[in-house]
Amino acid sequence: MNGKKPVGLTIDGLKVQAAEGTNVLRAAEQAGVSIPHFCFHAGLDVEGSCRMCLVEIEGLPKLELACSTIIREGMVVRTSTDRVGEARKDVLEFLLAEHPLDCPICDKAGECRLQDYYDLYGLYASRMIEPRERRDKKVPIGRGLILDRERCVLCTRCVRFLRLVTGTGELGMFERSLRSEVGIYDGRPVDNNYSGNLVDICPVGAITAEDFRFKTRAWFLVRRPSVCPHCSRGCAVIIESVEGYPLRRSEKRVYRVTARENPAVNGFWICDVGRDGRHDIDDGRHAAVSEKGAPVQGLSWEKALAGVAAAIRSVPGPERAGKIAVVLNARLTCEELALAKGLFVTGLGLGKVFFADRKPGPADSLLLTSDRVPNAKGVLDAGFTPRLPALGELAGAEVLLVFGSYILEHFGEEDVARALAGVPSKYLFAAHTGPLDRLVDAVFPVAHPAEKSGTYINTEGVRQSFARAVRPCPAVVAEGAILVCLANSLGISLGDADVR
Amino acid sequence: MFGDVLIILVKVVLTLMWTLLLALFLTWVERKESAVMQDRIGANRASVFGLRIFGLFQPFADAIKMLFKEDFCPTFAQRALHWLAPTFSFFFVSVTMVAVPFGDTISLFGRRIPLQVVDLNAAVLFVLAMLSLGIYGILVGGWASSNRFALIGSLRGAAQLVSYEVALGLSLVGLIMVFPSLSLARIVEFQGGLLFGFLPKWGIFLQPLGFAVFFLAGMAETKRVPFDMPEGESEIIGFYTEYGGLKFGLFMFTDFLEVIVLASMATTLFFGGWQVPWLGDAGFAFPGGGRIGLPPWAVTVLRVLSFNLKVFFFCWLQILTRWTYPRFRYDQVMDLGWKVLVPLGAANILATGLILAVR
Amino acid sequence: MIKAWRVLRELVRGAAITARHFFVNMTFHTLRLFGIRTRRRGAVTIQYPEVQKALSPRHHSLHRIRPRPDGKPSCVACMLCVTVCPSECLYVEAAEDPDPEVQKLPAKFVVDLNRCCFCGFCVEACPVDAIRMDTGEIRLASLTRAGLEVPLDKP
Repeated sequence: MNGKKPVGLTIDGLKVQAAEGTNVLRAAEQAGVSIPHFCFHAGLDVEGSCRMCLVEIEGLPKLELACSTIIREGMVVRTSTDRVGEARKDVLEFLLAEHPLDCPICDKAGECRLQDYYDLYGLYASRMIEPRERRDKKVPIGRGLILDRERCVLCTRCVRFLRLVTGTGELGMFERSLRSEVGIYDGRPVDNNYSGNLVDICPVGAITAEDFRFKTRAWFLVRRPSVCPHCSRGCAVIIESVEGYPLRRSEKRVYRVTARENPAVNGFWICDVGRDGRHDIDDGRHAAVSEKGAPVQGLSWEKALAGVAAAIRSVPGPERAGKIAVVLNARLTCEELALAKGLFVTGLGLGKVFFADRKPGPADSLLLTSDRVPNAKGVLDAGFTPRLPALGELAGAEVLLVFGSYILEHFGEEDVARALAGVPSKYLFAAHTGPLDRLVDAVFPVAHPAEKSGTYINTEGVRQSFARAVRPCPAVVAEGAILVCLANSLGISLGDADVR
Repeated sequence: MFGDVLIILVKVVLTLMWTLLLALFLTWVERKESAVMQDRIGANRASVFGLRIFGLFQPFADAIKMLFKEDFCPTFAQRALHWLAPTFSFFFVSVTMVAVPFGDTISLFGRRIPLQVVDLNAAVLFVLAMLSLGIYGILVGGWASSNRFALIGSLRGAAQLVSYEVALGLSLVGLIMVFPSLSLARIVEFQGGLLFGFLPKWGIFLQPLGFAVFFLAGMAETKRVPFDMPEGESEIIGFYTEYGGLKFGLFMFTDFLEVIVLASMATTLFFGGWQVPWLGDAGFAFPGGGRIGLPPWAVTVLRVLSFNLKVFFFCWLQILTRWTYPRFRYDQVMDLGWKVLVPLGAANILATGLILAVR
Repeated sequence: MIKAWRVLRELVRGAAITARHFFVNMTFHTLRLFGIRTRRRGAVTIQYPEVQKALSPRHHSLHRIRPRPDGKPSCVACMLCVTVCPSECLYVEAAEDPDPEVQKLPAKFVVDLNRCCFCGFCVEACPVDAIRMDTGEIRLASLTRAGLEVPLDKP
């Protein structure tokens, strides 16, 4: 309870203990009692504008808002009485009174609180006979966000988010009472690295993202947890993908990346860099083993890997330390790094084990770090001292294994080409196509972090294990499997290292 | 001598052609008759240069289709036997027709030529023997297919055919007691007389029970619905399972040939064969005293026509039966054969013997 | 003995019924053959390609998308038909429409007749009554699989 004094109360007959200062809504949620709400968000301050979370509290004559009532010792809360039910129903009827009911074209349909709560608490017949009020349906508010004022329930979550979390405050409430609406100030659209969260937190379909707009429907999406690999923060994310019908072959699998709550790392938010990382999973991927820059259909990675093993074996044992060079990267999971250590350093005794990674980018004050790799701490943890190779060091090798094509971010393409020209056997293990493909003998398609399982250690030293979130293409294989297979064919025992 | 051989050859070819043509025609008749019975139209689309004539080209279209189908033999089957089985069936059935008299003797080029391929003195036994040899087609076909459904079908078929042969044989004993000959030509001649002075002396009037047993057992011998134990197309596919194309066609054709054989046997043994009631060599002589004189060629034509009409009627009757009744269960078939037809056949012999002895 | 008699009687009755049908129908066929038109026909068969029966109004034939007055499809690409389709034969791709009253239109609406089972669930699921199966088109055949993937987005 974070050092705070525990407070005991009763919710729906359940004896509940919660930290002092918690509101009734959170306390109920912790006890497994869900109270419907629109405007309350655990990451934001309390507004109390939607009136949906009304509960009955013993000793108080009127129904109280669960979100703005702080728990007291001995409080008795009832959330499922007829009175509460009536109140919820009436609140919902007001909220839906001017709702356009364009669920068929609304992206929120399927995960919309209005829909869910109507199903759970509403189920009344509409009494509206007046024509519904028309408002702007398509207001671009910057960063690819589109505001639909008809659907908005004025919960002000978005306004509060921009004021409290990012501190930019681009959105505000304008006009009063019936005419009140959310909007941007003249000439100042939403422009910050966390704009995507507005779509996540909007409880209805008022703010939608152009990126996801009309692409698929919420109920087709399979949501699986993963960890964002785009900076060393390692935010917890949910990868939302479509598997099977109605996805057609050669289409994008991942439609959306959304934030997953993890108080130890990212709280409730992720940045737009990580959100746009969904393109990374589907775009420009290798789908088959390529040789000399052209994909070879029907060649399995196991078969192609036999060539790699043969090349390594052709270098006599004592010369290996200087003649075989390996370039790793910090996108590999801790498990894969341990395997790499066991295979290349301990097993083969190589001296030339380098690291090449993304160049650092700009950081911001909230989540995004300048380090653009997810597992920099993990590399140190595995016992490596990451060092960028000089091109001359690579040129002298007889066998070169490159994991990831990030080396091109540090050196010019021609320089790399010149350096690699003298290397007799050179192999690339990369997820994405790039100019390096043409410069090596063979390219093995490897898995994107979302397609594999493993552990990342973020910049604060938090270990996060994750499982596979997206099913990879049949030919794609995780680096871990490649390392194990290579070790097996070279007769090197990797000990008890956990392959998975 | 050479003339005799030539005559026999011509008769063999004509008989075979006529029988095969009739069987081909029957495939069309079966489709059309069943259609008309069921208020349908039936196959009517096969045409030659737009000429449809009620789909009469359908049998030829079927035959061409069967001919050009893949001659398929499953890898696990016994190839030679698989090929031999349909020919067995076909051969033994078509050969029975040699013993059937189509008409009276005719005089041509100064010779007396009986309208019958060969007048066997044990023709009844010959026909029965050939029909029972037809079992081998089924047995060999089912065995060679190496398919359990085919084997079940062929075993059931063999059991059924053997059972009904007993009834078939018994039903004819009474007839042979009445017409003391095993030659079909002689039996037909016997049926030319009159009974009680006005009724043709046909087998049906002398042996009504014998005819019933004979016809039922014969229908079972053709192994068509309602007695389709070996095929059983609604449960197992039977000994046809692994057959297709021309070989399947031969089996199918055998069925229709058997229909014709049964019809001609029923005609010959029980319905006077080529005899026309009250028609003698010189013309009609009605029991009331009226007479119509006819030239010999007209008498011959009438007699051949009479035989074919009767055969036709029995074919029609069998198709009617096939499209009227649902199929029997296996045990029902066996019950009918052993518990009804065999005792009835025996009773018929007894009754016939008693009547002959008393008279 | 009585049972046998009854069996025999029923057998004869059955044969009499089929035989009656045969002769009655044969009579009408023969009359027609000689050019005598009778009200009753010998067969109930409808000779399909030449004579066509009127389809029932409830018949499920090829799908269509109803057009709006301005010619655009009335479908809003909500994909409820895609969701409800038991044979997974529909493929809808949505597109943005400049008209804010329309907003969402199908860019692609393909029904794969290789898979469609003509259950009509899509028609029932449609919230805007855009898809219907009332074209009366029942001759759906093609020499290729691709030929049976019918695009419906151009009404």
